[in-house]
Amino acid sequence: MPPVLFLMRTIALAAALLSGAAALSAEPPVRVGVLAYRGEEHAAAVWEPTIRYLGGFFPGRGAEMVALDLAGMDAAVSNRAVDFILTNTGNYVDLEARYGVTRIATLQSARVASSGNAIGSAIVVRADRGDLRDLGDLKGRTVMAIDPDAFGGFQVAWGTLLAAGVDPFRDVKDLRFSGFPVDRVAFAVRDGVVDAGVLRACVLEELAAEGRIDAAAFRVLAPRTAPGFACAHSTDLYPDWPLARLAGTAEDLAKRAVVALLQMPAGHPAAQAGGYQGWTVPQDYQPVHALFRALRIGPYRYLRDISLVELAAEHWHWLALAALALMWWAAHSLRVEHLIKVRTAELQAANRDLLREMAERRRAEENARERQREIDHVARLSILGEMASNLAHELNQPLGAIANYARGCTRRLEAGIIHPDELAQASRAIADQADRAGGIIARIRNFVRKRAAQVEPVAINEAVRAAATLCADRARSAGIPVRLDLADGLPTVMADAVQIEQVVLNLVKNGLDAMDGRPPGDGIAVRTGLDADGRVAVTVADRGHGLDAQARARLFEPFFTTKPEGMGLGLSICRTIVESHGGHLWAEDNPGGGLAMRFVLPARQES
Amino acid sequence: MTHDADTAAARTVYVVDDDPAMRHSLAWLIGSLGLEVQGFASAEEFLRSLPHGRPGCLVTDVRMPGMSGLELLDTLAGAGSLLSVLVVTGHADVPMAVRALRAGAVDFIEKPFNDQLLLDRVNEALAKSQRAWEAAERKRHVRALLDRLTPRERQVAAMVVTGKPNKVIAAEINLSMKTVEVHRHNLMDKLEVASVSDLTRLLLEAEEPSPAAGGRGGKP
Repeated sequence: MPPVLFLMRTIALAAALLSGAAALSAEPPVRVGVLAYRGEEHAAAVWEPTIRYLGGFFPGRGAEMVALDLAGMDAAVSNRAVDFILTNTGNYVDLEARYGVTRIATLQSARVASSGNAIGSAIVVRADRGDLRDLGDLKGRTVMAIDPDAFGGFQVAWGTLLAAGVDPFRDVKDLRFSGFPVDRVAFAVRDGVVDAGVLRACVLEELAAEGRIDAAAFRVLAPRTAPGFACAHSTDLYPDWPLARLAGTAEDLAKRAVVALLQMPAGHPAAQAGGYQGWTVPQDYQPVHALFRALRIGPYRYLRDISLVELAAEHWHWLALAALALMWWAAHSLRVEHLIKVRTAELQAANRDLLREMAERRRAEENARERQREIDHVARLSILGEMASNLAHELNQPLGAIANYARGCTRRLEAGIIHPDELAQASRAIADQADRAGGIIARIRNFVRKRAAQVEPVAINEAVRAAATLCADRARSAGIPVRLDLADGLPTVMADAVQIEQVVLNLVKNGLDAMDGRPPGDGIAVRTGLDADGRVAVTVADRGHGLDAQARARLFEPFFTTKPEGMGLGLSICRTIVESHGGHLWAEDNPGGGLAMRFVLPARQES
Repeated sequence: MTHDADTAAARTVYVVDDDPAMRHSLAWLIGSLGLEVQGFASAEEFLRSLPHGRPGCLVTDVRMPGMSGLELLDTLAGAGSLLSVLVVTGHADVPMAVRALRAGAVDFIEKPFNDQLLLDRVNEALAKSQRAWEAAERKRHVRALLDRLTPRERQVAAMVVTGKPNKVIAAEINLSMKTVEVHRHNLMDKLEVASVSDLTRLLLEAEEPSPAAGGRGGKP
């Protein structure tokens, strides 16, 4: 019923009640609200006689029937606009719970032995539907019932279906409500419009008796039997309609009504009109409460609203799943956000690292160059250190000569035997030897000076001679001749002169070491020349012990040495120097015995 | 001592050093003593022009290309050189010094040296060489004298220095007393000695082994 219409009717009803009360100052007729579930006319036809019968027991007042729909019933009870109500089982339980109405008699159905087991539902299918055998088969089917508020026509079946694990609002494919008349449901089932129908128990039998349907065309699902209940049904049975008084209804009125109803004789026209046998003591409506509680309807509708906990308990697995999903999503979101932050930070860090790394690499390269300079420097210091006594002797030669010249002069002067020419000759010799000593010192200082490489055109023969000078004393004292065999007209090389000297000196010194304690033979030969590719080649060939293949393979490894007190850095550094000048350094056998170290440097392009 | 020795006074100093400046300057310094100095760039060069049989002083470096100073020392000793050798080196160590002295070096001088010390050593070396040369000369002279004797005179001389009287000598070699006296007179004349003690010293000198060039304390 649309709410506006309901409101208007309620107001109209209230106005009527007020005007009535005003008109009859005392003893108004007892008002009995009757549920007119099929309209006022139908209600009047069925119940008017009963109300009239009842009115006979209220002398001076009589009784008046007030036909009400469910909403009207609610409003009338709430406003105490009626004294009694006659309504269906479900509605009664609702009003009892909410307004404290009390049943005073229960209708006794004609067809039923016990008024306590009078209302049930029959869930019917076409008899030929072999695929529908029990209630569980209704899942995914279409089901039709009278009305969601119909007690026998829906609510009882609803409870039974729920208990069977089929929620008609969820599990069936389509739940339709036909409205009255109830035969619509039967027809829909018969015609195959729906798979199953819900009918109040006994409706099927009544329709069949009226000849409107063929009972054989129908089959009741999950049929039950109850003693004294002749109709086919699928559900528990509940008490029939009660007559109830309102909380404020006078005790006297209630007693009179009870007496009237209970002593209604069988076959009374009122009973015939109402289609019932008579009235009996009020039945226990508790099972209805239980049903409504399970369905969460009527007075237990609130369970729907506050049953989140129950809902959770009932659907915990879905909830848990949902919660898990939520948590996962939340965690995922957090994680994604976190990851984005982390990745962003990482990216920024990576950028910073990259910049830092580039700076570090530049620094490292600079450091490496610096370190290489240091190593070269240390190597030069080292090789000179090893030759320190030789160098000292090398210096002592000119110094000793100077002293000899000077003292010889002194003695001649003292003896008066000197000739001016001799004196001049001696002093020239002194000067020459001073120059010689100074030259040696300058060469040593130049050799060991810590310096950046200076690449310039270098005459290889000059570098070889300078190196030979530095190790001359060492060679002489070892009794090993060092022969320089230098080619004329060689192109210059772009090189650092001191580094090339260092290489030659190292090679010659290695040769001298290798020849230590061996017959000097023809000594060490230092040769310069051009190789087949036009590169400037320098060979230092000794008559030493030579090297076996294994030692030769490791010759240029740092810290590899065949000498007991050697550092093993010399050749490694030599190769580094030669290669940094774009050349190569390698070892060969010296024909006739010993080792020949050879290196080539690219000739400078004359422009 | 005979006057012959004065004819070959030891005044020549030989310097062997591969460093020309050192060689020249040593020559210059030693020359300030008024001595004759000859320089050689290597041991081999020196040996080639070795003035055998003359007294003198050799000043040599040890470490040189080719023959070293010590090898030169050995070679000279083996050849019976009369030169006194001074070894001068900048690389002195004890084993080298020991070896040099055993090989007959007069002294072992380490560079840098005190010039006075060197010159003193040179003088001493020259004097020693002079003595050695004189001893050698004398021995050669004694041998020459002995070579003049007849076998019989040599026999008599050997018996005279044992202190045997002429009569005993005559009896032992079955000669007449007179003949022994004639031999004795002749051999004293030939050997240019006036007394038996002079004769004894002369024969002892002839028996001595040849004095080596570097032999220490080989006073005649």
